[in-house]
Amino acid sequence: MGRNSIGLTLNAHMPFVRHPEYPRFLEEDWLFEAIGETYLPLLRMLKRLRDENVAYRLTISISPTLCSMLSDPLLQGRFTDYLHLHQELGEKEVQRCINEDSECLSLAEYYLEQINLNLQEYFELYQCNILTGFLDLEKSGHIDLITTTATHAYLPLYSEYPSAINAQIELAVQSHINHFKKRPKGFWLPESGYFPSLEEYLQKEEIAYFQLASQALFLSEEKVLRGNYAPISCPNGVFAFAHDFQLTNLVWSNEEGYPTDPLYREFYRDIGYDLPMEYIEPYIHSPQVRVFTGFKYHAITNKGNEKLYYNRQKASQRVLEHAQNFLYNVEQKGEKIAPLLDRDPFYNIAFDAELFGHWWFEGIQWLEAVLRGAAKSGNIVFETNLDYLDRHKEAQVLQPSYSSWGEGGYSNVWADGTNVWVYRHIHKSIERMEELAVRFPNQNSLKQRFLNQAAREVILSMASDWPFIIHNKTSVTYAQKRLKEHLGNFNLVYENMCKNAVNTEWLVKAEKRNIIFSDIDYNIFNLDCERNRYNG
Amino acid sequence: MVMIAANIEALSLAELQYLAQKEGVDDADILDRDELIEALNELYEDLEVPSSFYLAQHKFINTFVEYLGDDELALLPGVQDLPEYYSETKIHLLFKDPYWAHAYWNISPADHQKLEQSFEQYSIYLKVKIHQSKDGKEEEESFEIEIDKNDNSWNVNLPLRGRTYSVSLHYKDEIGGTSGLLCRSESVVTPKCYWADNVDQLQDEKTFTLLFSSVVTKRGTLVECPMLKEVVETLDNRIGG
Repeated sequence: MGRNSIGLTLNAHMPFVRHPEYPRFLEEDWLFEAIGETYLPLLRMLKRLRDENVAYRLTISISPTLCSMLSDPLLQGRFTDYLHLHQELGEKEVQRCINEDSECLSLAEYYLEQINLNLQEYFELYQCNILTGFLDLEKSGHIDLITTTATHAYLPLYSEYPSAINAQIELAVQSHINHFKKRPKGFWLPESGYFPSLEEYLQKEEIAYFQLASQALFLSEEKVLRGNYAPISCPNGVFAFAHDFQLTNLVWSNEEGYPTDPLYREFYRDIGYDLPMEYIEPYIHSPQVRVFTGFKYHAITNKGNEKLYYNRQKASQRVLEHAQNFLYNVEQKGEKIAPLLDRDPFYNIAFDAELFGHWWFEGIQWLEAVLRGAAKSGNIVFETNLDYLDRHKEAQVLQPSYSSWGEGGYSNVWADGTNVWVYRHIHKSIERMEELAVRFPNQNSLKQRFLNQAAREVILSMASDWPFIIHNKTSVTYAQKRLKEHLGNFNLVYENMCKNAVNTEWLVKAEKRNIIFSDIDYNIFNLDCERNRYNG
Repeated sequence: MVMIAANIEALSLAELQYLAQKEGVDDADILDRDELIEALNELYEDLEVPSSFYLAQHKFINTFVEYLGDDELALLPGVQDLPEYYSETKIHLLFKDPYWAHAYWNISPADHQKLEQSFEQYSIYLKVKIHQSKDGKEEEESFEIEIDKNDNSWNVNLPLRGRTYSVSLHYKDEIGGTSGLLCRSESVVTPKCYWADNVDQLQDEKTFTLLFSSVVTKRGTLVECPMLKEVVETLDNRIGG
């Protein structure tokens, strides 16, 4: 039997949300849910496999904004409060189920157990910084940590602004060096957004490879020889791997994917919305703003409103079936594809990390079963993209096509009728930031801080999360406000610098609020400015 | 409205009123709790709950949409609203996909004033240039788009693949007949696909399998991409023909 290599990348990202000006802030829950339901359980599972000597290697991208928030003392403290609050709710839920809802009791006990485990590990194992857990797995050779753009900017819509593209990539690499003490070799393009020549910027930061959407090689102007089953080399020598849509869709599809199975847990039924206000009020947001608590007791069942109670045992059995099905599909595919290639096929698949555990409750269990099954199989190997490049140094030289993994395969999600208005302002800010960097080079003291903060605000305004949220009509008001805040902040600096003035009141508050990229140098927006290479 | 499956009976009166108003229930503010519950249950009777799994669309979701929306994110001291105009006349062309680009522009207040003062009646229009280098020759064509003076953006159709497009903003004196250039954008290039011009090669079984097996699922779902769909349709027609 031939070898089937799977390169699995998990992209862990959260937009920079940090509001010290409020005692508690609703949108910070995005981070806390991800830590509690995905990152901590994922680390637990990967370490368990390591301890049992189950062989695997995979790639994890942790975005700079996520790294910043995970290592931020304010948010660490707030996550601790969040865990304690949920622990209290868990204890209350167990009691409620004993009294009123015995069918949900074992699940309530399970949730409480997981929260207690999270609390224990968060403090004792990680000292409140879970990045150390990922670093530990990298040191033992089980994962390869890579990065993505500084604020998850969707780069194709900034292709006219080399300084901005460069800043997003350079700051990302800086952030990675700061947190993980080494340069990343791989790069995750946000939303797999690629435009021809993007690899030039990556090469400058010594990036060896990046990821592409499934159609990027197919749609090239040149004929791709190995389909998506091997990377290509861009003309400048940086490698690119395209996703395997067929395998990815076994999980990712809204219609056909494993997570849509009726036995799996329903995400949208949560006691935060199911139970009376008198019961739930202490555990949601004030004033009486219902939120997800993570205590969910129903199975998907069907598309209607009537849901059966979730049965963990049945769901677990289904997980094993789905894991076996995935591995079966890989083997079947290998039998068909391997004879057509001059080397063993490589299946490049990628998912948002938060799918596992948070959105798809059974996802981490499934991943564990797949990794165990592969390790036993003898012909399916989970390896990193770098591992593959070590084994196969030769690749077809090809220019990929403009592409993304968003709806429609290009840029429409981030530039539709609801959100395209942002670019006239962001592009203008970039132009003005370039102007400031040229007019006021190498400043020090207050002006340097002022200009650095301006650069920070421009970078933060470029986050793809905000137009994404507006497109999908979720937290639209918040996204719009964030955009206006960052762009308004930048304009304040610009107007003051045009008068050669510094607004210190604003500066002190802005630095406290948007406390990210502490090493930022605003001269990054002047491509002609000579700066020292950042090595940490 | 993003649907979070709430237990209507568990909601407070304030929540029920908020939801009812959002859903357009008549007289939502004077209905009592039971009436509100009945009205909402009727509305949601045939509702399909979103697939309980990560849909890209619902990635950032917390609450009933906009329930918290009225809370102000406090702006820092001195920060103003975003301006309506900037001081420079400029036009940009943003590539959206191989068939459409988004043009947006700004005419500075000074240029506006100049136009108002110079011409009794004038109009503004876009000119789209399509450029191609073919067999050592440069080929160019163009078309114009009539726009309103108050417009500041337009979605521009890109009819041909493998071409360079740019857009410029012009004014026209409606009485005198003269016209002039206000600003011109950078270019965007529409991609070309090898297989679109060599679709017959896809009829080779090995090539077909290698290429399509990673962009199509076993059930025949193709990656969502219009250029890819175009190739498939061309191939279908070729085989069918």
